[in-house]
Amino acid sequence: MSDAPFPASAPRLSDRLLILSVFVVASCGLAYELIAGALSSYLLGDSVLQFSSIIGCYLFAMGVGSHLSKYVDDRDVLARFIDIELLVGLLGGVSATLLFLLFAWLSVPFRTVLYALVFLIGVLVGMEIPLVMRVLHARQAPFSELVSRVLTFDYLGALAVSLLFPLVLAPQLGLSRTAFLFGMTNVAVALWTLWHFRLQVPDLRGRLLRGLVLLCLLAGGLAYAERLTRWAEQGLFGDEILYATTTPYQRIVVTRWKDDTRLHINGNLQFSSRDEHRYHEALVHPALQRLPHARSVLVLGGGDGLAVREILKHPQVEQVVLVDLDPEMTGLFSRNTELAALNGGALTDSRVTVINADAGQWLEAGSEVFDLIIADFPDPSSFGLGKLYSVPLYRLMGRHLSERGMLVVQSTSPWFAPLSFWCIDATLREAGFHTHPYHAHVPSFGEWGFNLATRHPGYAPPEHYSVPTRYLDRETTRLMFQFPPDMGRREVEPNHLNSQRLVHYFQQDWNRVVR
Amino acid sequence: MRRRSFLAATGSGSLALTLPGCLDRASLARRGIPIRVLRPGMAEGHTLRDRTALPDAREEIHTGVAILGSGIAGLTAAWRLAQAEHPDFLLINGPEPDGNAAGGQLDGIPHPRGAHYLPLPSRESTVVREILAEQGILESDPAGERPRYREDCLVHAPAERLLFAGEWREGLLPTDHVTPGEATQHRRFLATMAQLGGRRGQDGRRVFAVPRTASSTDPAWQALDRQTFAAWLRAEDYTAPSLLAWLDYICRDEYGAGPTQVSAWFGLHYFASRNGQATNAEEGAVLTWPDGLAPLARGLRARIPAHCQRAGTALTVEENGADVRILVTTPDGPLRIRARRVICATPLHVTARLLDLRRHGCDPSQHLPLQAPWLVANFLLDGFPVETGDTPLAWDNVIHGSPGLGWVVATHQWIRAARPARTVFTTYRTLASQPAREARAWLATASADTLFDLAVSDLHQAYGVWEMWRRTQAVEITVRGHGMAAAAPGTLTNPGLAALQAADGTILFAHSDLSGYSVFEEAAHWGDRAAHKVLSGTA
Repeated sequence: MSDAPFPASAPRLSDRLLILSVFVVASCGLAYELIAGALSSYLLGDSVLQFSSIIGCYLFAMGVGSHLSKYVDDRDVLARFIDIELLVGLLGGVSATLLFLLFAWLSVPFRTVLYALVFLIGVLVGMEIPLVMRVLHARQAPFSELVSRVLTFDYLGALAVSLLFPLVLAPQLGLSRTAFLFGMTNVAVALWTLWHFRLQVPDLRGRLLRGLVLLCLLAGGLAYAERLTRWAEQGLFGDEILYATTTPYQRIVVTRWKDDTRLHINGNLQFSSRDEHRYHEALVHPALQRLPHARSVLVLGGGDGLAVREILKHPQVEQVVLVDLDPEMTGLFSRNTELAALNGGALTDSRVTVINADAGQWLEAGSEVFDLIIADFPDPSSFGLGKLYSVPLYRLMGRHLSERGMLVVQSTSPWFAPLSFWCIDATLREAGFHTHPYHAHVPSFGEWGFNLATRHPGYAPPEHYSVPTRYLDRETTRLMFQFPPDMGRREVEPNHLNSQRLVHYFQQDWNRVVR
Repeated sequence: MRRRSFLAATGSGSLALTLPGCLDRASLARRGIPIRVLRPGMAEGHTLRDRTALPDAREEIHTGVAILGSGIAGLTAAWRLAQAEHPDFLLINGPEPDGNAAGGQLDGIPHPRGAHYLPLPSRESTVVREILAEQGILESDPAGERPRYREDCLVHAPAERLLFAGEWREGLLPTDHVTPGEATQHRRFLATMAQLGGRRGQDGRRVFAVPRTASSTDPAWQALDRQTFAAWLRAEDYTAPSLLAWLDYICRDEYGAGPTQVSAWFGLHYFASRNGQATNAEEGAVLTWPDGLAPLARGLRARIPAHCQRAGTALTVEENGADVRILVTTPDGPLRIRARRVICATPLHVTARLLDLRRHGCDPSQHLPLQAPWLVANFLLDGFPVETGDTPLAWDNVIHGSPGLGWVVATHQWIRAARPARTVFTTYRTLASQPAREARAWLATASADTLFDLAVSDLHQAYGVWEMWRRTQAVEITVRGHGMAAAAPGTLTNPGLAALQAADGTILFAHSDLSGYSVFEEAAHWGDRAAHKVLSGTA
């Protein structure tokens, strides 16, 4: 029996297949739109804006696609439909992962690529429905029936995804894998259309091969998407990401490689668990060993609690106040068991008070007096940060210091940034302190420097330590306070607020190092 | 937050509905931003001008000296009397306490509503140095060549930048970015100004000094006051467009009017008079605070006993035999003050409505200084706008050739571990391109939206409409119809001003208007002079 005299109201199998592909194609189209919107809200924030602009761009692009569809020659309609499906599958499938990678590596052209990608997918998806309609029309389907059926399934497909995406796909699979899944679905539509109409499509083998390769590629993507996004960040940090978060103040990433846990803030290494004891012992003990009567200690910055861990080794200390801006940071190092293990639970110790406030503002507002102040601020790489190393701020710290108290300042590297290091020393002296510069070798940082400042002369480095130390001993300490000629004192100006010499020195120093 | 909740409440639907009616960029740019407009003293001033019926005062009090107005002149006079333990005076605050030195707050961030900086005072500015020393801002050697100033009050680096030829550059004069011919003119001008700065007249005084009455009275120099600054520049063959644009900016910033309206003497005075030095600051440094000069006004006020200050606005001042009767409206109702002497520390256009100035040798129809209208607008921003290029945001940010005067950053002087999550940008603008009277008439009725468009233009040019719209949480615009005296030619020989300066009867005058231009130093000088007249009279 021939299939020619089928009544129009009972569509043939090929037509049903095409209608089904409309459903699938519509689902995929909406999925890419939702993925792009969700991804950009997630990465850029301001979700109303991101969703509106993505949807706007996408719908407009679909209009452009519909318009362009008229330029497809009637004879090529089916072949073009299959090609477009393959292309949509590829672009849509890799879209989320591509954008993730791009954001991790280069943040600048991110928006350009985002909108270009959304536009491109929109154009292709916009061509799909008109092409399907033309295929059906060419197959003599009555127009009213055709329009009604195609659009019904178009909207049904959209409904399906709009429910599936937020309830199942995004939470279960994540954005990257969802995109790959829909990409595969698009390619599957292309392949089964291709197979069904194999007699009418030119270059069957070539298209079949491309489709299958794409399907494998996307399946691989689906399997490895999770790892790919991790690689994206590992590309930045080198190691496995243990924890990553973006707070209003900074991007915090904790990585691990074997037994080495590292903290990065805005991409800058803060510590490596392998050698951080060198840094923190050097930061704390030369001062605190010489303050047997120290009752209270103030730590500015240092939300990782590692300096506090060292301070708490000294039994005479009754109170430690840690002022760090970011509650995420101090929360992470109080609650996360792995990270709190690094500081020995220092931040939850009963002697410790954590204050999440801006150190500058806190110093201005308060009047508490401490026996030791440790200023562990980020390096003076901007005019804002440079003020934390200025004469007035050191004078202000001086007002929070007891008569025999000491101030220790993280002072950048005397090897890489000698002008900056000695500028901090000169600034402390300008603020009326006696300074005792020293340095320690921290392998993951290189040679690092500190300034110990006192109101009165007479400080001498400790001869021994009454607390357990892994790095410091008498000989190490003696060498720490000696500067070989290639790290010797430089003649530099102190850092005043109205000149901000330190920021200029810091730029000079690092321009010299990084060629 | 208000803008966000507005958007959430109205939703995109109503946005779409209202779109066709307001498709111009300007109205989209301010959509949903709450704008508050302040017109300090305007209603009170217009009541005086329109001479509506005067209220009847039931309460009458007596005082030795009544000081009307609590701008810097009134505050300085009261501060000086309090310092000399003069027992009996009363400071009537007027409609805007602190006057042009007033400040405000947006979301807890202090910001200026008027003047925002003070140049390092030169040696002649003894009163200013004394005020600064008393407030602990000048730390040592108040009479010396180079005193030491509190470092956190000196403007922090980076102080200034200029948007010139599409890029931000350090400093405000783009000498390094213009043709060699123009650069030569820049250098010639600066060299001439440096030379004038050290120059003394036949009488041994500096040719240009602050206060300006301390300047040399040599006729040759004073003759410069007969021409405009623009005419002088032409005569001296200064033609470089980049130099002229900079000088135009300077004149509008300092006098509220361009070089074609400002006297040549005053044009030069700006550059040649300010030679204040400091041991701990570079030449040309300035003192500034987050809320402009408001902390100085607060410092003065803190030293004036509270019972000697009273809210209220004077309506009339009448000489009556041995004393003066002043009618004042106060929050508690009308009040009559009988004083032995009165210091009118009000702007002269107001003083002219309080009493008949002609009896004091000043004809208001001829002698009142021209007053330039100003807009001071504060933008509360959620995060700092995205900068382009490598020159970071400075305290003072100016766009070369713009009709606006750029903006200052209210949080610039803060010392913080992290950039504040919110900040306030203060834009300044004079309406120098149209006659002051017309501009004032327009300002008096201009809608908040129109004022916003005027105030935001520099920020739009620098950051784009979209970036500003998404950052701006609230805007406060202060309209100052009589912002400052415009230092027009003829000011030095203005007989009306000279008469009021010399007045030593029961009625005394103290205001920067007496100098013909509006700066803290002149206001403090005249406040101090008036107080001394009182003190020597009672001694």
